[in-house]
Amino acid sequence: MLHPFQSVLLNRDGSLLFCVVKNEIKAFKRDGNAYVTCGEWVDDLDKTSLIQEKVVMEQKRQLTENAAKKLKTNDGESVPQPKKKAKVPKPGVGAPPVYQYIRNLGLSRNGKMLLGCTDSDKAAVIFDIDLDNDKNILKLIKRQPYPKRPNAITTSIDDKDLILADKFGDIYAMPIQNDVVSSINEEQAPISGHVSMLTDVNMVKDSEGKQYLISTDRDEHIRISHYPQTFIVDKWLFGHEEFVSTVCVPEWSDKLILSAGGDKYIFSWNWKAGTLLFKFDYSDLIEKFLTDDHLAPGRFQNEQGNIIEYSVSKIVTLKNLPYITFFVEATKILFVLKVDVDTGSLSFHQSLEFQDKIVSLASAQDANTLCISLDNRENQEADLIKLLSLEGDKFVEQMDTNSNLAKTIRSALESDPVANVELDEIYPLYNSLSMRKHGEHFS
Amino acid sequence: MTINTRRQTYLAEKQDHRKELKHVKIDESVIEKVDKLSLPQKRFYRQRAHSNPFSDHQLDYPISPDHMDWSKLYPHFIDSEKKELTKEVTIADIGCGYGGLMIDLSPAFPDKLILGMEIRVQVTNYVEDRIIALRTNHTKENGYQNINVLRGNAMKFLPNFFHKAQLEKIFFCFPDPHFKQRKHKARIVTSTLLSEYAYVLKEGGIIYTITDVLDLHNWMVTHLEGHPLFERLSEDWESQDKCVSIMRYATEEGKKVERNKGDKYVACFVRLPIPEII
Repeated sequence: MLHPFQSVLLNRDGSLLFCVVKNEIKAFKRDGNAYVTCGEWVDDLDKTSLIQEKVVMEQKRQLTENAAKKLKTNDGESVPQPKKKAKVPKPGVGAPPVYQYIRNLGLSRNGKMLLGCTDSDKAAVIFDIDLDNDKNILKLIKRQPYPKRPNAITTSIDDKDLILADKFGDIYAMPIQNDVVSSINEEQAPISGHVSMLTDVNMVKDSEGKQYLISTDRDEHIRISHYPQTFIVDKWLFGHEEFVSTVCVPEWSDKLILSAGGDKYIFSWNWKAGTLLFKFDYSDLIEKFLTDDHLAPGRFQNEQGNIIEYSVSKIVTLKNLPYITFFVEATKILFVLKVDVDTGSLSFHQSLEFQDKIVSLASAQDANTLCISLDNRENQEADLIKLLSLEGDKFVEQMDTNSNLAKTIRSALESDPVANVELDEIYPLYNSLSMRKHGEHFS
Repeated sequence: MTINTRRQTYLAEKQDHRKELKHVKIDESVIEKVDKLSLPQKRFYRQRAHSNPFSDHQLDYPISPDHMDWSKLYPHFIDSEKKELTKEVTIADIGCGYGGLMIDLSPAFPDKLILGMEIRVQVTNYVEDRIIALRTNHTKENGYQNINVLRGNAMKFLPNFFHKAQLEKIFFCFPDPHFKQRKHKARIVTSTLLSEYAYVLKEGGIIYTITDVLDLHNWMVTHLEGHPLFERLSEDWESQDKCVSIMRYATEEGKKVERNKGDKYVACFVRLPIPEII
């Protein structure tokens, strides 16, 4: 069967569509009412050499440490150190599966570079988008490994620096054009950090052109720091009571930002004043679309077994229209809210139900187009990706384009060894389960 | 009775006291009801010295500083008409341990509110019991009304408790050294956390550090000196400051190091003004 797309991304005018299946990026180009394949990249990095390197280094360290202790025989002669070849450890039976994700695709602000992070070597990968290359528009220009697993990426307003937030809570800024840095923490200290898993990162600019870095974490925090003077924290936006998973910076306002996560609200903030403007409660809207997927894990469940847990995966916006679109992880429904740009208040505008669960959401800002990828596990014949465009003030499916796109995708993936998998080989598509805190440690 | 059950009975009794007296304004009327309280005995509250600051503890913390109800902690400072606290906390002892520093700071700064934060439950309980006993035993002169303790993880949630520029002094006394290199992020002073401390400190506010581990001392000095918002204060300044001498001799760790004739390394830093934003 075909593996669903974990992540989708459209460029600003909707002419390019990037999709991630496991450790592969596929690129499609718009051609009238259809899309054609125009590029691909597979993360085929073999981790064993990296592990080998680490193991050898650790062995070296231990040997020097032992040498310092000077092992001696009873007669007082020094014992030569045994020099075994370092072995690369192999996972045993029952070890958790290793996933070679590519996660969090993004585009530079000028749309000329594609950014992504890989799980295999915890690297950021940066591609030039070369539209003149007919065979493959993706040209890898840099692969920068990081010490901890990257979780979110963005670029500075001028596109010069790549800003990356990792699961350990550190944020790094690195000039994109510079050479790869080999040992990050010694040469390049983090520019900011939380003592918590970072979940999203973004940049805003005020009316005077000063830049700010927004970072969100699993401990309900949204932090706003000056940039590049990230050592000056401007403020925190307080109000979330569960982890924050996404922060969204709309282009139709210079003061509004939106955020959501494990709470039953979409939050709208005036980031400049540091005030919470509105909380939109979507719990009634989502209720009938929740399934067994949303029951709390066994050990946190109550006797009736009716504790439900859900969270918003992503919020996206369009350039000129004051709408926001979001979906709740592992549901089949997409919501559109209308935003009052002056007051920041949110109201229900539209909902669209699909045959399958939504995995990922993106928007083409300038083209008023949305894109979703769907979990086709129960429904092999269904579309993997759907494009929606605005007609009047409602989003509708682009029927023709979607059926053309479906054909293109099927032929592109048909003989692709990465995308054709057994049911039990599908990567985890819904990841926020582990983000919720259950206060397990008492002391 | 075995040691264990004796410990349990002792702790249960103390817990009852704590529940009853924790948030009460202790004055003559309360005193008639309870006899003079004995100070808690440390041996019943032992807990291992380390706590993982990254794990999800069962913690209580306010959604924001505005949600924090301080009046429960400092009932003596409530304005009886407005039902509000007359002042806010301006001195914080992060990782206050058994509370020795606060107990000496209390009479030295009678008009300041002082808060200790400690991540270990048993140790926090000890400090609470100690403060209840001290307040009860010094009712006449209203002693120890300006100190209290909270169980919390300051590395994660400090900005949930304090507003921007609220604090005048922050103490880090004998923090966990986290010797292993891979544990260095768990240290209480890191360049990324210093930005948070700079946020809650007002301009001219002071960070006090003391440790008996030279390696950690050098680490803290390097990171604080490397941070654009902090500047080290001179030894001359240290010798004039009353907090420095309290810090050297008042804390439990300080006394222990003194008994063992160990070294104590002190470093103090002033919070600089915010530079021009570029």
